[in-house]
Amino acid sequence: MKQNKLGFLLVVMLGAMLVLGACSSGGSSGGSSDEDTITVWTMTPELEDFVKEYEDESGVKVEVQAIPWDNAHDKLLTAVASGKGPDVLQIGTTWVAEFAEAGTFLDLTDYIDEYPNFNPDNFYESAVETTKYDDQTIGIPWYVDTRVLYYRTDLLEEVGYPEGPETWEDVKDAATQLAARGDDQYGIEIPQVDQNFPFMLAWEHGWQYEEGEGAANFEKPGFKEGVELHHTFFEEGMAQLTEGKQLYQAFSDGSKPMFFSGPWEINSINEQIPELEGQWDVHVMPEAENNNSMIGGAHWTVFNNTEKVDQALDFINWMADPETQVAWYDTVTELPANMEAWEDPKLAEDDKISTFGEQLESTQAVPVIPEFETMAQELIDTLEQINRNDADIDEALKEYRNQVSSILSK
Amino acid sequence: MNKSKFNITPFLFIGPAVLLLFVFSFAPILVSLGISFTDMNLSGLANWSQINFVGLDNFIQLFQDEKFLQAMGNTFFYVIIGVPLAVASSLLIAVLLNFFNNWVSSTFRVVYYVPSITNIVAIAVVWSFLYNQEYGLFNYLLSLINIDSVPWLEEPVVARLSLILLAVWKSNGVSMLIFLAALQSIPKIYYEAADIDGANRWHKFFKITLPSMSFATFFVTVTTLIGWLQFFEEPFVMTNGGPLNGTNSMALFIYQEGFQYSQFGYGAAASFVLFAIVIVATLVQFKLRKTD
Repeated sequence: MKQNKLGFLLVVMLGAMLVLGACSSGGSSGGSSDEDTITVWTMTPELEDFVKEYEDESGVKVEVQAIPWDNAHDKLLTAVASGKGPDVLQIGTTWVAEFAEAGTFLDLTDYIDEYPNFNPDNFYESAVETTKYDDQTIGIPWYVDTRVLYYRTDLLEEVGYPEGPETWEDVKDAATQLAARGDDQYGIEIPQVDQNFPFMLAWEHGWQYEEGEGAANFEKPGFKEGVELHHTFFEEGMAQLTEGKQLYQAFSDGSKPMFFSGPWEINSINEQIPELEGQWDVHVMPEAENNNSMIGGAHWTVFNNTEKVDQALDFINWMADPETQVAWYDTVTELPANMEAWEDPKLAEDDKISTFGEQLESTQAVPVIPEFETMAQELIDTLEQINRNDADIDEALKEYRNQVSSILSK
Repeated sequence: MNKSKFNITPFLFIGPAVLLLFVFSFAPILVSLGISFTDMNLSGLANWSQINFVGLDNFIQLFQDEKFLQAMGNTFFYVIIGVPLAVASSLLIAVLLNFFNNWVSSTFRVVYYVPSITNIVAIAVVWSFLYNQEYGLFNYLLSLINIDSVPWLEEPVVARLSLILLAVWKSNGVSMLIFLAALQSIPKIYYEAADIDGANRWHKFFKITLPSMSFATFFVTVTTLIGWLQFFEEPFVMTNGGPLNGTNSMALFIYQEGFQYSQFGYGAAASFVLFAIVIVATLVQFKLRKTD
């Protein structure tokens, strides 16, 4: 009788051990245990081959784990929750605040003087801005990303803008003429789900987000002007409100001769619609009060509880070197954050890329606050109400300010 | 026989299963019930000392959140239209398939089952093309008979119906198999007796086939209802809740709050509202069946 109870207990405990054992496997410390190996999480798979050169130079083995962007957020969440992450990790600029608030990263402020390539003066100012959270420097810029105007040179020439439109007035004029070509013809593609785009329009009308002011920021006139501009394109039929054709198809058949996008689009257009060669170009953002575009991209950060800080920093130092950055640009066409790299002929002598270089001079970063993501998503919903549901702009913005104050007060 | 031995043996057998069930099913439910009363977010996840108990705040806020109420309304819309449609169409398919007993039957069984085992992302790509307002196949076919293009995914109510159509098509396979199995297990003698009595096809269907399948129908209805209350994949891959939040479902809302915005407390509260609705809906069905 007693034996049976013991047996029961034994089975239960064995079961529990099995279950708990399965949960806790996966190493006791962050990263890999071998002294000369560092683990790196990145969203760009090409890095795996790229680091071979560093491995040869330094003798340190770099274990690259590539995570697709779509899964990266969940993967990082798990790393934060369990405290078990890699040694070095790539972070998108818009995720900095959220994960920095959770204490994911090591503060690099004290190390900046130790490594020559960490000098903030080497990088675009707005890129460095997004590495800062709460007086900490949590990362070193790796590559940058911004938006410019892509346009069809032949079609824009027909309406009087062979070099592309300079100002938003020009864009509206050109788009009105182009949209008048007939049914299913539009002037421009205006992004409706891009979180940064509405903020870019507001910046260009002189709006700035001040952290202390909270929801009152959105009462400033520049913000409303940006929203009104966004709405004008849909209201007057210059841009298509519904999903419509696939963008490359519309760009190639001329029904949407202008759109905004980032540097990766150059290669994609060349690969997917090669017949368009010579009929398209890029132009810096149209100007209102200024022509500020957003700065995005990614930074290298060090996970907070890694034991291999020196190795991690040495790796980042190598990645931040101008020469490495040019080589990386060569590999995947991601734009160097290091300004010296831009002097390399590969970048400086490429017309389209140097337009991006020019645009990077006038960029700014979205506010580095953890609530940004939710705020931006609310704004997209608000714009949808205005553009699709004919909501009154003033009413909708008032409602948006209420939303923002409740988001910020959480 | 030793009485205590008699008592302990079954526990030894079910012990591991119960333990696993507890660790992986009940414990997470209890933990998330706990989380739903807190303001846990990303920083709380890293540092537990930053989690505050907020009582029923999350729930109060939920029922004032227009987006959540809209998602709840959309979910009821999906259920009210989708469940009867899904059950009826799979029953119809099963009866028709049962009618033939040759290669036609086995071929179409495969045809109707394939959507259930196809990856939802692949389905989404294909159906997005079908639904495209400019060059989609559906609008092309309609244009042949001079019907104006339908905004399949661009207008909230139409978009909801489009997603229902897609989901019914996708879910038919599994329910159909259950119905088919039930149909084939009905003893032939009932039909022979009915033939002797001179019953026609409709009599036989309503007086013999349907009543004999009542348990299968009940099972399919309950699982379908639960599935549709948790409607997630279709709006997630096809519309992401838009346009104008018109296709957002409760499950998708929970995902957005919990995993996109990292508001774990709020998301957990929403998932408990959904949990309660599922339990109530299922209990109501069991009650209705008992009164049968």
